[in-house]
Amino acid sequence: MRNDPIVTDPVPHVRVWDLPTRLFHWSIVALVFVSWLSADQGLMTIHLWSGSALLALLLFRIGWGVVGSTTSRFRDFLHPPRKVAGYLKAMAGGEKPLHAGHNPAGGLMVVALIAILLAQALTGLFANDGLHFSGPFANWVSEETSVQATTIHGAIFNVLLLLIWCHVVAVGFYLFVKGDNLVRPMFTGKKPHSHVPAGLTLNFTRLYVALLLLVLTAGIVVWIVQQGAVL
Amino acid sequence: MSALAYLGCVGLITALGVGLAMQLRPPFGHAVRQFVGLETEPRANTDSFYAVRVAPLLDSRCAGCHGARMQKAQLRLDSFAGLMRGSRHGAVIEPGRIKDSELFTRISLPASDDKAMPPSGKTPLTADEMTVIRLWIAAGASGVQRVVAGAPSPVREIKLPEVDPRAVQKQRAPLAAAVTRLQSRFPGVIDYESRSSANLEIHAALNGPAFGDAELAALLPLKDRIVWADFSGTAITDASASALAAMTSLRTLRLSNTKVTDTTIRALAPLKALRSITTAGTGAREVALAALRQRGLAVYGGGDAQ
Repeated sequence: MRNDPIVTDPVPHVRVWDLPTRLFHWSIVALVFVSWLSADQGLMTIHLWSGSALLALLLFRIGWGVVGSTTSRFRDFLHPPRKVAGYLKAMAGGEKPLHAGHNPAGGLMVVALIAILLAQALTGLFANDGLHFSGPFANWVSEETSVQATTIHGAIFNVLLLLIWCHVVAVGFYLFVKGDNLVRPMFTGKKPHSHVPAGLTLNFTRLYVALLLLVLTAGIVVWIVQQGAVL
Repeated sequence: MSALAYLGCVGLITALGVGLAMQLRPPFGHAVRQFVGLETEPRANTDSFYAVRVAPLLDSRCAGCHGARMQKAQLRLDSFAGLMRGSRHGAVIEPGRIKDSELFTRISLPASDDKAMPPSGKTPLTADEMTVIRLWIAAGASGVQRVVAGAPSPVREIKLPEVDPRAVQKQRAPLAAAVTRLQSRFPGVIDYESRSSANLEIHAALNGPAFGDAELAALLPLKDRIVWADFSGTAITDASASALAAMTSLRTLRLSNTKVTDTTIRALAPLKALRSITTAGTGAREVALAALRQRGLAVYGGGDAQ
């Protein structure tokens, strides 16, 4: 792990997001879109692949939340409800609390999105489209259970849409109302130093750890899908 | 930008998005309009052609995947409202326009087509069933219209009662030993009425003159279960009258070419279940048989004719 002391002057920007977290974020955006489009168009083989990739990335993100860089770790952005409420209250009062990574409310959204996407990917393993396609584990359970999984799979998507809407609206709120662009740092990895608490030290986990973790989680998902396909 | 202005923009954009989704996803659009009271849910009368002829077809062939349990393509075919609402791709019924009605297009595709409905592996609709749907759409896909000209007659479905082997076995149990013993004594003569019944049939005619009054008396342990008996051509006489009269479940009795007379016929008077009797070639006379006829029995071969 490397320590990157924040130099606030004269450097205008500070590195806050590591590459794996940024790639994860935009990959998830792309895969959710591909998953929706493929299901809508009945391209179920693509849907299986995008869903499996989503599952692998979600497992990666959970692992990265433990061994990743400072701002990617759960302990950095998971806060008790009281702190989240305090943050929201401060925001409503016109204050602008600084956070290098996810703010307490954003952290809650991250966890909610990961949880809902995980539920979506897992129910998809047991779902079927009633025609020519079944999830890898659809034949491992009764038809009734598979139908229930399919129903839940469809219902969760609506919840996911709602969460995405909340996420986008919140990001827009920071951009247009608070003047804090959260999108650009998710591309560049850097925030203006004025948007980061002074004197903060962020640690960045080396890239090969992320690669190893990704290989591991992808392997787990490939194995899971293959197990399902055996029956 | 102030928070209020931003929220206003979000509300406006969200409303535009919902409006767009309502256009692109008709079921969603109908659901929203019905929710806010801008649209009433279409309903069909219970005596309409749709309810009597079309709905049962859709229920049996389509509602498995397009019903309460599952809504493939967001399409429900288990209600008139769902059918008229259409799928996420749009309307599936265009009243009066067969060629534009996706539902009819799908059900009339060859089974080898990926888009054929019901999908491969499921029972396709028969030609008559497709005709019913075609004529209904052509006539305007109404939920009120009771008659559609030219529609094939409905196929009458006969539902046989479910057979519960355990219940049948339980019914047969009290006489099972006696039946087995007598079947062994009179091979081929005693059989159950059906797989689902404990009632018995007696085919004594198979034994001809070798079957007499003593043999008939041997069947008495089974008397309550005998519903059909053929003693034609056997050696039974009026001595069996009381044994026959004890068979209170008898519905059909064949006595042709036996030595029974009016005595036996009169003895049968208490048999309330008896519906048919055959007496050709017996000593029974019309005077005795007339009483049975008056009761509404079918009497074949009056004794006077011999």
